[in-house]
Amino acid sequence: MSENPQAPFYEMSFNVLAAWQAHSLSTAGSNGSNRVMPRRQLLADKSETDACSGNISKHHHAALVAEYFAADDSPLCPACRVGDGRRAAALLDRPEYGNLSFERIVCECALCDTHGFLVTAKNADSEMSTGARQKISKQTLIDFSYALALPDRHAETSQLHTRSGASKEEGQMLMKIPARSGEYALCVRYRSVGIGADTEQWLLYVKDQALREKRHRAVLRALRDTLVSPAGARVATMLPHLTRLSGAIAVRTDVGRAPLYSALESDFVTRLQAMADETCQVYPFETIEAFYRLMNTFIATSVPALHPFWKTSQQ
Amino acid sequence: MTQVQQRQGIEQQSSQMWIAADYHFPSTYSCRIPMSSANCASVLPAPGPATVRLALIRVGIELFGLDFVREELFPILRSATVRIRPPERVAISQQLIRGYKWNEARQKRETIQESILVREMAHAAGPMTVFLQIPEDAGQRMHVLLQAVGYWGQSSSLTSCLGVMSTPPLLEECALPLDLLDDTIPLRPFFSCPVTEFRSNQLSWEDIVPGGKMPKTSALRCEIYVWPMVTEYRHGTQKLLVRAPLFWKVQ
Repeated sequence: MSENPQAPFYEMSFNVLAAWQAHSLSTAGSNGSNRVMPRRQLLADKSETDACSGNISKHHHAALVAEYFAADDSPLCPACRVGDGRRAAALLDRPEYGNLSFERIVCECALCDTHGFLVTAKNADSEMSTGARQKISKQTLIDFSYALALPDRHAETSQLHTRSGASKEEGQMLMKIPARSGEYALCVRYRSVGIGADTEQWLLYVKDQALREKRHRAVLRALRDTLVSPAGARVATMLPHLTRLSGAIAVRTDVGRAPLYSALESDFVTRLQAMADETCQVYPFETIEAFYRLMNTFIATSVPALHPFWKTSQQ
Repeated sequence: MTQVQQRQGIEQQSSQMWIAADYHFPSTYSCRIPMSSANCASVLPAPGPATVRLALIRVGIELFGLDFVREELFPILRSATVRIRPPERVAISQQLIRGYKWNEARQKRETIQESILVREMAHAAGPMTVFLQIPEDAGQRMHVLLQAVGYWGQSSSLTSCLGVMSTPPLLEECALPLDLLDDTIPLRPFFSCPVTEFRSNQLSWEDIVPGGKMPKTSALRCEIYVWPMVTEYRHGTQKLLVRAPLFWKVQ
């Protein structure tokens, strides 16, 4: 990548193959038994493969980026400050947020701005003398796919663990917890252009570009950390061994999409590289340190692009 | 109908073209069947026609701005014929996920409760193709629009456009409304389900775009669609659908 200190990023996609050993990052509950079920997904080639839901990666990213926002003095609303997953919707009970607006949420909370929020609509209630409420929402700017194990590259061992019961009388309980290993295909899309903006009507609310850049840098730092330091369910005792990280990052510098292609296909990097053009650069990486260096370069040199509609108003 | 009107009709028809875009699903996706519960959602093998139209409107606003879409593209998008060819193979699995459910308590205070939700997730092999019949002079803009679609319905259903070409659909490979199918030929057990479509090709902008006075749901209607897909394999809550040609009624 050229060392352009102001490289505008409109959108990025991460197309990644990550190898995790002995993990239980995302499970499908216990179904009332003493066995924790691994998450499974049927693939179109009829093979059943191991899976980790994108929700868990998104939660992890949200927690990480909130720390970076706090360190950077980017604003957080009271709900996001305490990790409340409802985000702006949790502010409805607070009298000081009685007159909640899209602009206020996006300007006053970097996490609601980047990870999205939903305040549902409500009809007026004459009995309770409450007024009607309009829906206010923003789509997340960071989308995580399911991580799907390559069908011939995953394995599972059932481990017997002991767990204390809820009371002394219940004593000790035996639990079977799967330890899973595999190479997982994972896609992430990050629409950096949407920072500080309404992405349905394309109106910019955070007009100070320096504030948008701070939020963008924090998102990239947290994305880097999400991939090099995986987290999810049961990491307290089953922190995964990360043994490989390879793939390609696609960057769209002008309006349009950064292509996504699944690492389930062995030629995914070649296919992505074939899609590169003057506004779409593709950066392949083979190792974890190459990925880390690449991300650090992006953090140092990239800025969230301005949508063409906003450029004229800012000039 | 006067001769002039007839001629205009013929001219309008002759200036129509088919444009087709192939889409890759890079991971699992989940386009919910309308009327299935949000807490226990079944999914379509590919997005339905209303989802495609709404995605194009959303992308249009991003690329060309609200005013241009409202004035120029919306009349084309609401009346374009949309045909969808699903991927060759679609595997569907049920997933348990955590979610929030709104509860209205006795005192009519809203509370949010964490709950277990069931959602089917689909995994596809092969591209899905979207065909649009549009006026010829809109071809260039529609090409750009189709290329820029990044997801269908909700943002967890990621997609990536592989290419756009001018080619008509093979109807036996596309999802079709039940009433277009030939009722004299015995059908195979094709996957069929309700699908949302725009209520009419004369809808107003306010019917569709959030912020309008009419509720969004009244702009859509549900229709039974038959998908050219049969179940090849079923195990528990998992199933694998493969594409198989439909028969259709020549009109």
